[in-house]
This record gives sequence, structure tokens and C-alpha cells, in this order.
Amino acid sequence: MLYKLIVLLPVIGALIGGLLGRWIGHRGAEIITSSLLVLSAILSCVAFYQVAIAGQGPEEAITFFRWFDVGAFEADWALRIDTLTVVMMVVVTGVSSLVHIYSIGYMSHDPHRARFFSYLSLFTFAMLALVTADNLLQMFFGWEGVGLASYLLIGFWYKKPSANAAAIKAFLVNRVGDFGFAIGIMAIFFVFDAVDFDTIFAKAPELAGTNFLFLGQSVDVLTTICLLLFVGAMGKSAQIFLHTWLPDAMEGPTPVSALIHAATMVTAGVFLVCRMSYLFEYAPDALYVVTLVGAVTAFFAASVALVQNDIKRVIAYSTCSQLGYMFFAAGLGAYDAAMFHLFTHAFFKALLFLCAGSVIHGMSDEQDMRNMGGLFKYLPWTGMLMIIGTLSITGVGIPHTLIGFSGFVSKDAIIEGAYAVGTPIGGFAFWIGLIAAAMTAFYSWRLIFMTFFGRPRAPIDIMSHVHESPATMMIPLLVLAFGAIFAGIALQSLFIGSASEGFWGDALLVLGSTGHEVVEAAEQGAHDLPNWVVLGPFVVMLLGLTWAAYWYLKRPDIPERIAANRGLLYLFLLNKWYFDEIYDFLFVRPAKRLGRFLWKRGDGWLIDGFGPDGVAALVLGTTRRAIKLQTGYIYHYAFAMLIGVAAAATYLYVKAVGAL
Amino acid sequence: MNSSEMISASFTLVLPEVFLSVGAMALLMLGVFRGDRATRLVSWLAVFLLFVAGVAVLQGPELRTLAFGGSFVVDPFGQFVKILMLIGVALCLIMSMNFIREEKFERFEFPVLIVLASLGMSMMISANDLISLYMGVELQSLSLYVLAAFNRDSLRSSEAGMKYFVLGALSSGLLLYGCSLIYGFTGTTNFDVLRETLIPGGLSIGLIFGLVFLLAGLAFKVSAVPFHMWTPDVYEGAPTPITALFSAAPKIAAMALLVRVLIWPFTDVALSAVPEWRQIIVALAMLSMVLGAFAAIGQSNIKRLMAYSSIGHMGFVLLGLAAGTQEGVRGVLVYLTIYLVMTVGVFACILSMRRREGMVEDIEELAGLSRNHPLMAFALMVLMFSLAGIPPLAGFFAKFYVLVAAVHEGLYTLAIVGVLASVVSAYYYLRIVKIMYFDEPAEPFLSPIGGEIRLILGASSLFLLFYVVFAFPLLGVTDLVARSLF
Amino acid sequence: MIIHAITFYTFATVILVSGFMVIAARNPVHSVLFLILAFFNGAGLFVLLGAEFLAMILVIVYVGAVAVLFLFVVMMLDIDFTQMREGFLHYLPVGALVGLVVLVELVLVVGQASVDLSAVVHAAHPTPDLSVRSNTAALGDFLYTDFVYFFQAAGLILLVAMIGAIVLTLRHRPGVRRQVIADQVGRKREEGVEIVSVKPGQGL
Repeated sequence: MLYKLIVLLPVIGALIGGLLGRWIGHRGAEIITSSLLVLSAILSCVAFYQVAIAGQGPEEAITFFRWFDVGAFEADWALRIDTLTVVMMVVVTGVSSLVHIYSIGYMSHDPHRARFFSYLSLFTFAMLALVTADNLLQMFFGWEGVGLASYLLIGFWYKKPSANAAAIKAFLVNRVGDFGFAIGIMAIFFVFDAVDFDTIFAKAPELAGTNFLFLGQSVDVLTTICLLLFVGAMGKSAQIFLHTWLPDAMEGPTPVSALIHAATMVTAGVFLVCRMSYLFEYAPDALYVVTLVGAVTAFFAASVALVQNDIKRVIAYSTCSQLGYMFFAAGLGAYDAAMFHLFTHAFFKALLFLCAGSVIHGMSDEQDMRNMGGLFKYLPWTGMLMIIGTLSITGVGIPHTLIGFSGFVSKDAIIEGAYAVGTPIGGFAFWIGLIAAAMTAFYSWRLIFMTFFGRPRAPIDIMSHVHESPATMMIPLLVLAFGAIFAGIALQSLFIGSASEGFWGDALLVLGSTGHEVVEAAEQGAHDLPNWVVLGPFVVMLLGLTWAAYWYLKRPDIPERIAANRGLLYLFLLNKWYFDEIYDFLFVRPAKRLGRFLWKRGDGWLIDGFGPDGVAALVLGTTRRAIKLQTGYIYHYAFAMLIGVAAAATYLYVKAVGAL
Repeated sequence: MNSSEMISASFTLVLPEVFLSVGAMALLMLGVFRGDRATRLVSWLAVFLLFVAGVAVLQGPELRTLAFGGSFVVDPFGQFVKILMLIGVALCLIMSMNFIREEKFERFEFPVLIVLASLGMSMMISANDLISLYMGVELQSLSLYVLAAFNRDSLRSSEAGMKYFVLGALSSGLLLYGCSLIYGFTGTTNFDVLRETLIPGGLSIGLIFGLVFLLAGLAFKVSAVPFHMWTPDVYEGAPTPITALFSAAPKIAAMALLVRVLIWPFTDVALSAVPEWRQIIVALAMLSMVLGAFAAIGQSNIKRLMAYSSIGHMGFVLLGLAAGTQEGVRGVLVYLTIYLVMTVGVFACILSMRRREGMVEDIEELAGLSRNHPLMAFALMVLMFSLAGIPPLAGFFAKFYVLVAAVHEGLYTLAIVGVLASVVSAYYYLRIVKIMYFDEPAEPFLSPIGGEIRLILGASSLFLLFYVVFAFPLLGVTDLVARSLF
Repeated sequence: MIIHAITFYTFATVILVSGFMVIAARNPVHSVLFLILAFFNGAGLFVLLGAEFLAMILVIVYVGAVAVLFLFVVMMLDIDFTQMREGFLHYLPVGALVGLVVLVELVLVVGQASVDLSAVVHAAHPTPDLSVRSNTAALGDFLYTDFVYFFQAAGLILLVAMIGAIVLTLRHRPGVRRQVIADQVGRKREEGVEIVSVKPGQGL
């Protein structure tokens, strides 16, 4: 009942807000959806305690009803409650409820708030359906559900063309990933004859190493399946090649960016890989790819974030980069570290986004950092909280201890773990992680310095209006800041430390001496990691910080000069490695040309011309001729009759004569 | 039995016709002595008379029985069609009462002529001899010519009567010519004798010629293309209740006559050879369906539109006849039944299109009917959907049965043409629905609509809507009835 | 026998020619006169067949009543027939073609067919010999017995024709003075004449 309530409360809120919004008013919709979400969050915490800490979770999936029952194709509508689920539940409902409350303040001037809150709750429901799924089909439902909600929320300001374009882009790019995911599900059903996790997981070991023929090549079954699933994860989690939608998605309202495009939906891919650890563990090649993609993304996104000027885009690329960390952690087998980073990341990234929202709110919807600066004395609270978030993301803490901000605890665990794995790919990931950490520090502090310090670059009339946000926006920020500071220290032992064995239970599977054990060992200090490895992340962080401080506080003329010179590297980064341009050239324009061709020639000329339009014209032409027959003259009529008789007689006569 | 006994026995068989003829003359007397004031009374008495005739029809023998030396036949087929025809005439008569009062030609001859026309139709339905066929046709036609021109102060009405009369005379000429050819080549006019002499040998060319001319005359009566030309003009010009009568009762009677003439003497049921007349009927059916569908699209006057609609529907009925099987005849009967209901319903609607300045007949006048008269609009929508043949309304099943019968006989081309024509015709039926529901409302019609018209409209649309309930009894009855022809 | 044949062909030819002239004559009065001629010859054919009753009826009814009525109508209505025929030539080719086709076919069909004399046995009522029973009586025999149905039906058709003629043409115009004989006969002196004593030199 508890678990069912957690999932159902948001959808109730969404229905009330969406269908009855007109009658209960904006205030009513806000209060109802938010309070239902808060209730759901509290229940999630209870569930977290019961399942993960007290170990009293339900033994079996909680079934609502049977969804599909077609031959071997069976799927229930059920909740799978284990540690993985409740961790995600806490993240989702927690951030969602805070975002709901924040939005009350943030969206207070919007005329369509009821719709907004309904969408938010709908998203939360879909996300919960995703994380509680007992089978791949339900997961796919949630997967598409969050995609839909994301589309609706990015395009919430539907009168803005850029928002519509961004929404469509997000939807289409995700379609690529979802296509892979869907094929993966079909492949699983084809191979396993089932879509529910218990059956799949139980059968996975038997199928390890089996091959099938594809285009004459022998291909490993599980690797194929896992790669297909990973394509889905890449789309949803904005990994390189399928990342292009995420920065554009910042066209949506900022709370949406915080909830969907930072804390929850984009982590669905990581969750998927962790959830399917029972499969991935038997497909080492797939894990290799996961690591590679994750590492490259971490590097790529961080590099692009270095030069972006839109405050939300910087954070968006930062999200992309952090997701890369999670993926390569998962790829190295450190699912627990990945989940831990996911957990802490939700706090500090949501905090950063909401703070950015607060800045934007205060700056009368200005998003370009070049027009900010010196805001700290106008927005002291926001500034403080944002610095906390930055300290957390850059990983400030005391090396060799577990004392530090959340980001320090989780990210350093990943980087150290990567080194400790000892494989070449692990080493690659380690170095990439290290470089990305330096860049993270740089761009994060660059954001802080450009926004809050230095001389104000905004026009006077905007500066005079700059104001701190209302309490409804600040309270969620405080809660998130609390998490950003302490979540790492408090929960480290549970997620990746000494108690992690009992904490995760059967939710994750790790085979052999991979990252998981290494991380665990490292954190307990039993493993001998070289000193420089432990100190590495901290040092590069300091390096990035110092560099940023030098450039943006001491010598703001240097970055300005670089920007003005438009060097090749600068342009390369500013234009996000030219991904959008390449895609535009490779896919978008040919597709548009094809679409135009099919539309104009195929549909307009061929189908309409010979179909509806042609037939209609033919009918009208025939009609005109038929009406012309009706002249009104009796002798014409008589003629028609006589000709009819003559024709019939002649026909039959000829026929009869012919028959003789 | 001597001849006078035979004659009196015959008279008991034609009791319905006797009632109608004697009653018509009595009503004529009543009218002559009471004047035009008595029209309303005469009308109701005429309705009663039709009712009595109907009862008398139902009292008739259950088996095929001949009267007057074989020139008149009483059989279930005839009885069923007569009941249909009497219902149609009675409903049109009821609907006409207020109309003729408002249009100021309330004269007692009107109901009397309608009764005489129904007598003619009844004689057509029961005709078992070329002479009685011709007598029935002429009695019916002559009455209808007069009725078409009844509103003699209206130019259009007179023109309609004139056109109908002249062309009707031509068709009668063709009919007679055909009869004489048949008589000349066989030496008999009696259908039973024809059946015996013809079936073994098949038809000679001369006989086929006679049949062609005979069919031309009858095709004129069911307004099959190309013998349809009078229909739109006459429908438009004649007083609306008479148009309703035209499109309902005489069509049914003439179609029944056509069925009887073609099936009884000219079809070799036992040999199941393709009858010689099928080619003609197939051509007529095809042309009628196509022209009915296409020409109706361009019409703006709803009565003209209904004229083309009825041409198209007669094409479908001919499609059932073209099959020439018991199944086909059953389809024809079901079709005629449903067609009667649809036609009467639509004309009830047209008769409600009343404004202060008089009756209106433009389709555009129905604009926004759904807002001014929602119930009437709904009923008309049901009627239009049924006419278009959209399931689960009755019109769909009507078309379905005849199409199935045609397909069973291998008439694929005809069936396909029928389906295509049905698709095209759906356009103009749905256009009326569109005008009623989506166009800016025109001025509302005068209300209240007469109670009897409302009743007819409601009953007909309910029948069409819930046809599924009536389907099985109707199918059972028509099956039995169709069997009596084979 | 040869006289019989000659007479038949004479009558038949005249009927055909005058029938053609009915539609071909320019003057409508001539048309009607040709019609009358056709009727007379038709009556002659009936006489040849021994159907003297029908012959007389044809002369009396068609010539005496119908055709004369036609003549009156044609002469009374001032209709310009030439104007009505303007389109005649225009449609002549098509009409002629249709007519020709049908004619040719009919000739071929009827010419081919041998009249089946055995069909005569189907005739239920052969004409009785004139010495036994007169034509008129023989017709009456059947008309009121075997053909009573047709007879009555024909009567009804005539009734409808009568009603129709009255309905469509009889008008009671207001303001028209009619002679009512009963009123005229029933009038008293007192109603018709008023005696006024006029004083001389004053007037009324």
C-alpha cells in the first residue's frame, strides 16, 4: 500500500491539476500537486528506511493487475521494490517535491500554472513507473512517459518558437535512443521469452557467451542486447552522439531543467544500466563500450562547458559530463559508485539549477553570463547556496578522509576506483576523469565568478531591479544545499562503504574483481592506492579553481581577448564540437529534403493528385456533365428514352444473331 | 362451376381492390355533395379506406390464387408489396393534409385521386396478364399525372404534370408496343401461359424485342436511367406530398411489377440459365446507380436531390433483380421496405421546411438546423446516414443484401460499380449533415411542426436506427414472400 | 381472294402514308385531317377482318368525336407550329438514325419470324361466325364475363380521366354571372318588379 501510494499520488495530482485546473484555480492546483508530492516524498523516505536500511522490503513484486497476456508475452503492472528502486524513489520524489515548491514562486507570473504543475506531477509519475518497473514493458512505458512529459515541459512556453524546436529536437533525438531500447526489449523477449526481470536475470548466466549469426558475422547475444539497451540509455542520458538535445532543452522553465534535465530523467539511463547489471555483467564487451562512451562524454561535455556563456547551458553540459562519470563507473562494474554519484549529483545539480533559476528570476530572465557579474551583494543567499553547490560539484574535501562535500565523496570514489581497476580501459577512464575534474572546477568557478563577482555588466535599469527570490524558492534551495553538503558523508558507508553489501542486497550484480570491490576496499583504506592518485582529483580541482580565479577575477581581459580572437580551439568548443552542424548536414537536411520530396511529390502530387483531389475533381466534372443532360426539354427526354430502347434492342439483337 | 360463380369467386379475391374502387367513388360522391370543405374528412376517410384495404389484403389466401381467368393473381409476394404500397400511400396522404390547406389547393379530389392511384398500383402488383398490367399502369399513371399538376395555379406544377403526361404517354406507347410484340409472337397475354410456352424453348429474338419495349415502359415507371429524365423535373415541380408519393408508392408497385414480369414468365428457374433480360437490367442498374450518385451532387433543391437519390436507389433495387434469384428478390423486397421508410422520413422533413413566407426547398435552408431544431436535425441525420448506407443503419443492410445476391450470381462488375456509386453518393448525403451541423444557422423554420409529421419522422428514424431489431422478422417474412415467386 | 388482298394493301398503304403525313404536314389542320383519313382506313381494315362493330366504333368515336375535337382545339388555339418545329431539322439526323436502326431491326426480326399458326390455339375466344352471333353480341358476351375485370378497370381509367379533366380545368370564377334556371323559374312578380310612384316633374 505504501509503495502503491508513492507511485499513485503524483498521478492523482496530475489528473486533478490537469483536468480540474480550471475549477480549482492555479492556487488550488499548486497546493494539491505539491502537497501530494511532498506526501509521496515522505513516504519514499519511509520506504527507503524500510527496504534499504531495515531490510524489510517486500519479497515479491507488488502487482496491480495483469497488463498483457498474449501467448508467452506476459506483463504485469507491478512494482519491483528493492534498494535500487527506493534510492531512485527518494531522489525522484524528493527533488520533485522541492521543485514543485520552488515552482510556486518561480512560475508565479505564468498564466498557465495549473497545466505546468500537472505536467510536473505527470512526469514524476512516469519516472516512478520507470524506476519501480517489474518488467521491461512497464519500464518502457515509464521511459516514454518521461519522454512525453519532458517534451511537454520543454515546450511549455509553446508560443516561443525556440522552445517548440527544442521540444521537438528532444523528442526526436530520444526517439533514436528509444528505438534502440525498443529493439533491445524485443530482442530480450525473443531470446528469453519473457520481459519480466526475475525470469531474465535468472536465465542470463545460461545464455552468456551464446552467439547468433548476423550478416555472416557471429555476434554475442547478450552483448548485442546490452548494447541496444545502452543506446536507449545514451539517448535518455544525453551521452555523446545523442546529447544534442539536452542543452537545447534548457529552453524549458528552469525548475524543469532542474528536475528532469539534471536530477531525474537524464539519470534514467544510468539506472537502466544498473538495473540490468545482471545482463551487463555477462557482456563484458558491452561494459567496455559503456565505459568508453561515459568517459568520452565526461571529457567532451566538460570541454564544451568551458566556453559557454548561457548560465543554464554551462550547467547542462556539466550534467552531461557528470552523467559520463556515472556511466564509466557503471561500465567498470562500480554500479554502486555510479548510483551514489547519481544520488549526490541530484542534490548539487538541482541546487545549481535552481540557484541559476533564482539568478535568472532576479535578473528579469537574463541568461547570458556576459551580462551578469557583481551580483553577490544583490543576491547573497543565492550566491552562498550556489557556491555550496559549486564546492560540491568540484569535489572539495579532505583527501585521504571521507570528510568533504557530497561531490567529493562520490566523484573521488569513481576516479580512484577507475584507477584501481587496473585495466587499460580503467586507466583511460581514470585519466579522462581527472582531466574532466579539472575542467569541471574551471567552468564551475568561471560561472560563479562571472555571475556573482567582478564588475556588474548588466544595464543599470536591470541591476536596479535585481532582487532576492521569495521564501518558496529559497526553502527548497536550503534543503538541497543541506543534501549537497552532507549526503556524501552521511550515506557513504551505505552506498559504497562497509555497509554496502547489506544495503544493496540483490539489487545489483557484480562479477569478479571489478571496480565495486576495489572502490569499497579503497574507501576502507585497505587497498594501497598511490598517494598521487588519491590527491590527484583534489589537486586538479585546485588547479581549475585557481586558473578560473586568475582569469575571471584578476585578469578578465585574457578570456575576453581569447573570445575576441576566435581561435580555432575556442570556436571548436564554443560550437560544441560542431555536433549540431554535422548532424544538420548528415541527417536533418537530407531528412528534410526527403520529407519535402515525399510531401510535395509523393503526397501532394501522387496521392492527392490521383487520390482525393483527383477523384474529387473527377466527380465534380462528371456531375457537371450529368447535370447538363437534364435540359428541361421534353423532346430531349423522349430522345434519351428512344435511344435507350434502340441501344438495348440493338445490343440484344447483335448478341442473339451472334449466338445463332 | 359456371362462369357467374367463377366471377363472384374472383370478386372475393379482389376484395381490396373492390374496397378501394367503390370507396373512391363513394368519397367522390361525398366530396361532390359536401364541397371542398369536406376535404379533411375525405382525406381521413381515404386513409381509413386504405387501412381497410390493407386488412383485406392480409385476409387473402396464403397460396398463389388466380382470379378472372388468370389475369389477376393473389400471392404472398403481391400481398407483401401491396401492404408496403398502402402504407406508403397512407403516410403520404396523412402528410399532405396540412400542406394542401396551407398551399390553398385543398380540394376533395386530391384524396380521391390518391386512392384511385393506389388502386392502380394494387392492380399493377397483382397483374398476371399483359392487359391487366397495362390497365394498372394506366390507372396509376393517369391519377399521378393529374396529381402532379394538381396545384394548377403554379406554373411549375402544371409543367411537371405536362412533362410527366407526355413522357408517360410515350412510355405507355413503348409498353404497349412491347405487349403487342409479345402477344404477336406467342399468341397470349397471360403470364402463366407465357411461362409454360416460353420456358422450354427460351426466347426468340422477336420476343426479346418485345421484352425490351416492355422493359422500357416499366423502367420509365421506376425511373431507371435512361428512362429517368422526367424524374427530377416532375419531383421538383409537383406538390411536395405528391413528390413523396411519387418516390415511394409507384416505385414500389412498378418494381414489384417488373420483378413479377421478369421472374415469373421470363426466368427459367429450373434450368438456372442466365436469363436473356439480365443484360438489360444490369445496364439499367449500373447507369441508374452511377447517374443517381453523380448528378445529385450538383443539386441545390432538396426535392431534385431526392429525385436523383431515388434514381440511385432504384439502381440498387435493380441490382438485386439482376441477380434473378430468390435471394435477389428477397433483397429487392427488403430494399423496398427500407427505402419506403427512408423516403417517407426524408419527405416528412422536407414538409417541415416551412417559413412564414411559405415552403422552402433549398438545401442551404437547412443550415444550422441542429441549433434551431436539434431533434429534427438528428432525425434527418439518421435518415441521411441510412440513405448513404452507413452501418449499422438500415440503409446499409438494404444495400448489403442486394450486393450479396448480385455477387452470388457472379455479377462482380455490377457490385463494384454499386459500391463505388454508394461511396460517391455518400458525399451529398453527408453534405446535408454538414450543412445542418456545421454551417451558420439560417432563419429557423416555423414550429411547431404538425404532430403527424413529427410522428412519421420520429418513427422512421427510430426504425432505421434500430433496424437490427427488426432485421430478423423482416428477413423471415421476405424470404417466405420471395419464395412464392419461384 | 385477290380483291381481299388488294383492299388490304390499299388500306394499309393509305394508313402508313397518312400516318406519316400527320407528323409531316406543315399545317396542323392538315395533320388532323390526315389523322381522320388514317382512322377511316383503319376502320376499313377492321371491316376486312369481319369486325364491323370495331369499325363502326372507330368511325363514330375517333372520327366523330376525338378527331373533330382535335380539329376544334387546333383551330381555336392560335399556336405557331412552325416555331415549335424549329428544332426539328436539328434533331432529324439523330432521330432518323435511331428510327432507322429500330426499323431495320424490327424488319429483320419480324421478317425472319414465321408467324406461328399454332399460337392461335392459345386464343381463348375465337370470333364466332357472324351467322351464329353478331360481333357486338359476341363482344358483349366476353366483356361482361371473362373480361369483366378489364372492363371495370377501363371504366375506372375513364373515371380518373374525367376527374382529372375537371380538376385541372374547371374554374369557378368569382364575379361571373351564371344562369340558374331554378331561380329564374321560382321568381315571383314581387321579387322582380318594384312599383314606384313617381311624382311628376320631380324624378327619382
